[in-house]
Amino acid sequence: MSLIFYVFGALLVLSALGVVLLKNVFHSAIALVMALALVAGIFVMLGADFLGASQILVYVGGIMIIMLFVIMLSQQPVEALQRQVNEQWLLAMILSIAIGAGLAEGFKKYFAYHFKSPGLMPTSVSIGRLLLGEMIVPFEAVSLALLAALVGAVLFSQEQKDK
Amino acid sequence: MTLYHILALSGVVFSIGIFGVLTRRNILGILMSIELMFNAANINLVAFNHYLHPGNVWGQGFSLFVITLAAAEAVVGLSLVLAIYRNIKSVFTENMNLLHG
Repeated sequence: MSLIFYVFGALLVLSALGVVLLKNVFHSAIALVMALALVAGIFVMLGADFLGASQILVYVGGIMIIMLFVIMLSQQPVEALQRQVNEQWLLAMILSIAIGAGLAEGFKKYFAYHFKSPGLMPTSVSIGRLLLGEMIVPFEAVSLALLAALVGAVLFSQEQKDK
Repeated sequence: MTLYHILALSGVVFSIGIFGVLTRRNILGILMSIELMFNAANINLVAFNHYLHPGNVWGQGFSLFVITLAAAEAVVGLSLVLAIYRNIKSVFTENMNLLHG
């Protein structure tokens, strides 16, 4: 289990680097598919089986398909050969390394003890009870937000008639 | 596989996402880097849920909401990208300097 986690973690970091560094944005979308699937694997290792399944369903099966569609619709062939990072990459690298090191240091200060890992249990029943019980108000609010996103997507993506 | 290693992994992925948001010229690359940052936050929520509060599933419920709202955000963002692309024929952010296309 532990070895699988480290292999998944190394692959996750590599594919995340692929997302931000690859020149062709289509290739970085493929790397993002790999990263999201690995995150689903890490969820399952942390005992979140329902969440891992919905990660695969929603992210890998839904969001990434739309993203690949938009990439294919909006990519001109010359753009794949152009420079993909802007002039501030050195500053951004320093900033992100500082944020990453700060996060790791802060986590080390508070969470470096060895917490005992509890056993894995199926969680679908308790998530269902949570969502339709104590979390019912945010659940309904999210359904409203999804409806608004649906209407917004239709509104933004339709052709304008007056041209 | 301790809690700290999982948190460090998510911190690394989060800072890679920040690097992508700050440096990508392509707006689709920026959207993908934002997805990476959402996933790092989700790993944190699930890891805290697993190690610190093993009896309940509130962290996983929050992660579900994050996934749902990320889907909504991606759909609206991508349709905006398509609308902008239809107007200015480019997906590079330095070309998007007009409020009224």
